[in-house]
Amino acid sequence: MLARNSIRELRYRPLRTLLAVAGVAVATAMLADMLMLGAGIQRSFGELLESRGYELRVSPKGTLPFDTEATIPGWPGLQDSIGAVAGVERVAPVLAMSLGVEEEDGAPGGSSKGIRMLGLGLDAENRAFYAPVEGEGPGAGQVLVDAGLARELGVGPGSSLRLTTASGFAGWGRNATARVSGTGDFVFATRRDMPVAMPLADLQALSGLEDEVSFAMIRVRSGADPEAVRAGIAAAADRVEVVTLAGIAARVDERLSYFSQVAVVLGSVSLFVAALLIGTITAVSVSERLGVIAAVRAIGVGRRRVVGDLTAESVVLAVVGGGIGIGLSVFVAGYLESILADLPGLPAAVSFFVLQPASLLTAYGLVILSGAAAGLVPALHATGREVTEMLRREEP
Amino acid sequence: MNGLLSAAGILAGLFQAVPGPQALEDSAAAEAPAAAQAPEVPPAVRSTCPDDLQVLVERPYAARAGIGAGSVVRLRAAPDAEPCPALVAGVFEPRADPSALMSTRPRVILHLPHLQALSDREGEVDYFTVKLRPGVDAAATAREIEPLLAGTQVWPAAEVADRASTTFRVVSRFHAAIAGITLVAGGVFLACIMVLKVQERRGAVAAARLAGIPRRILMGWTVAEAALLSALGGLAGLGVGFAASAAVNAYYQRAYDTVLVFSIVTGEMVLQALVLAVVLGVGAGLVAGVRLLAVDPIDQIGR
Repeated sequence: MLARNSIRELRYRPLRTLLAVAGVAVATAMLADMLMLGAGIQRSFGELLESRGYELRVSPKGTLPFDTEATIPGWPGLQDSIGAVAGVERVAPVLAMSLGVEEEDGAPGGSSKGIRMLGLGLDAENRAFYAPVEGEGPGAGQVLVDAGLARELGVGPGSSLRLTTASGFAGWGRNATARVSGTGDFVFATRRDMPVAMPLADLQALSGLEDEVSFAMIRVRSGADPEAVRAGIAAAADRVEVVTLAGIAARVDERLSYFSQVAVVLGSVSLFVAALLIGTITAVSVSERLGVIAAVRAIGVGRRRVVGDLTAESVVLAVVGGGIGIGLSVFVAGYLESILADLPGLPAAVSFFVLQPASLLTAYGLVILSGAAAGLVPALHATGREVTEMLRREEP
Repeated sequence: MNGLLSAAGILAGLFQAVPGPQALEDSAAAEAPAAAQAPEVPPAVRSTCPDDLQVLVERPYAARAGIGAGSVVRLRAAPDAEPCPALVAGVFEPRADPSALMSTRPRVILHLPHLQALSDREGEVDYFTVKLRPGVDAAATAREIEPLLAGTQVWPAAEVADRASTTFRVVSRFHAAIAGITLVAGGVFLACIMVLKVQERRGAVAAARLAGIPRRILMGWTVAEAALLSALGGLAGLGVGFAASAAVNAYYQRAYDTVLVFSIVTGEMVLQALVLAVVLGVGAGLVAGVRLLAVDPIDQIGR
């Protein structure tokens, strides 16, 4: 009944209603997007890390994996120490460095294209970094090439590439020819990276960093507490950083805290704007109908009923505008995501805006609640007056 | 190569995250923990301590660690390397560089030969800069130099700056997108308010029309009122913007312990904001005015 009355009132002034709904929709879309942004990056990054099946990372002191080109020297001994820690099931070392790659075209010393890209040295069983697209994983003297890079270079399984170290004195003058074993999608690659994976020993030999790795991934035995294993490794190896996946996600979140803070500020402003708009519309609507309100109260309709009717009008505005806004937020999130995806240093698989039903429901609920509250104030104010006074004011 | 005037070798470990002095310890505080943990592998770096080793320490870290000119610290290239005593020659204020904002490791400056000795990398540098003679094409020179230095990359300074500023360009685009959405919301709000205002006075406007006042004058009044309203709102918004900018600077400068200016309100921005506000107001006034004047005045009065 209340809703029917409210809808009738809103339909009576279509332009006003349309504008109010549009305003609430835009504000709701912004609020929902900011809620998605606030929690999205940590969740998205955490899920990406967890999907790889390794619970801990070991990196040079003060760094995170892929943070820098710093390496951990003396790796073989350190790997033994880490492997001996209770709860460690598997240790997967990784050497990551910038490489130059050229397609070997058979001409003496010639090549058709030269590109700088990210070289990943992995042990044979480590498939955590890529999903094969074509061919197979790299064996000795072979590389698995990022599918995008393969397209750019025009290479595929069986092609030959010449690899050179792109930085570092230890690798000066070194180069090697490798056969492409296959192509793959690299999950941790940023948009700028064009990774190739190769056996760890091959990249160590090419770079002259025979006993060094960039970081290692640790798989914890089933049932073991990752935090306890982390503490065990940290105690056994004091010159490295040992972090859990939650720790990495938290640090990434800390580095991107700007976006969380922006999300809080803009989300709050959006909610305020939505409430202000609904409150304004309701206040004007109430003031226009003071005579009617006085009349219905004079014939015995209770204050609660009148307040309910007026507040329902605000709620209907919030429900309709908010509903449209929730749909709009998905498109806006996609647009904003396309902008932030260019942020350097983040894996392309990580999203800032993660579509979560909880965020959308929270935004929708907040807008309806604030709309109801914003409508309640003028409704209470109008119905709090004496009926005779209201009727007198309405006299021409 | 003609443009080559000078070259300055720099070990980037001072500023960038490559193996460098990974431990900077107060000489009094580091003894016990360092000795308690036996290294699990042979030390990676056995450095020779340079004579007269001196360092400059960045101000934020010096303040946190209670270090000042004249303090003695111990430096080592890796946690298991031999530490070398170093005199803090002074404290420096880090350059207001946005790209170094998220740097988590404190920065110290050493003489190049000292750091080379400390890190066991005599004769090596991570990068060096080249100053060109005026008028020389940096990109062409870079292409000329690179083949001469196997294993290196040569970048024109403009390209380095361009790559370093990618983050800020992306954030600027994000801000622009948010500003666009805000403008839409503000425009709708304004149009809504103007529709409410003209509906309130439809009787008066109908009377004015019946009295012979032309539609274009009434439309002009409506539009002018909307423009004035939005200009006033814009001015108030600018006040909020100035206050917010000051708050942002105060908060982030404190949070990151830097003199970097995070938010600037320029005259151009003020002008843009005001122009946009007035344009929005004119648009909203037109919507409301057309709506108001589309109805027959007799009907408006009779209603």
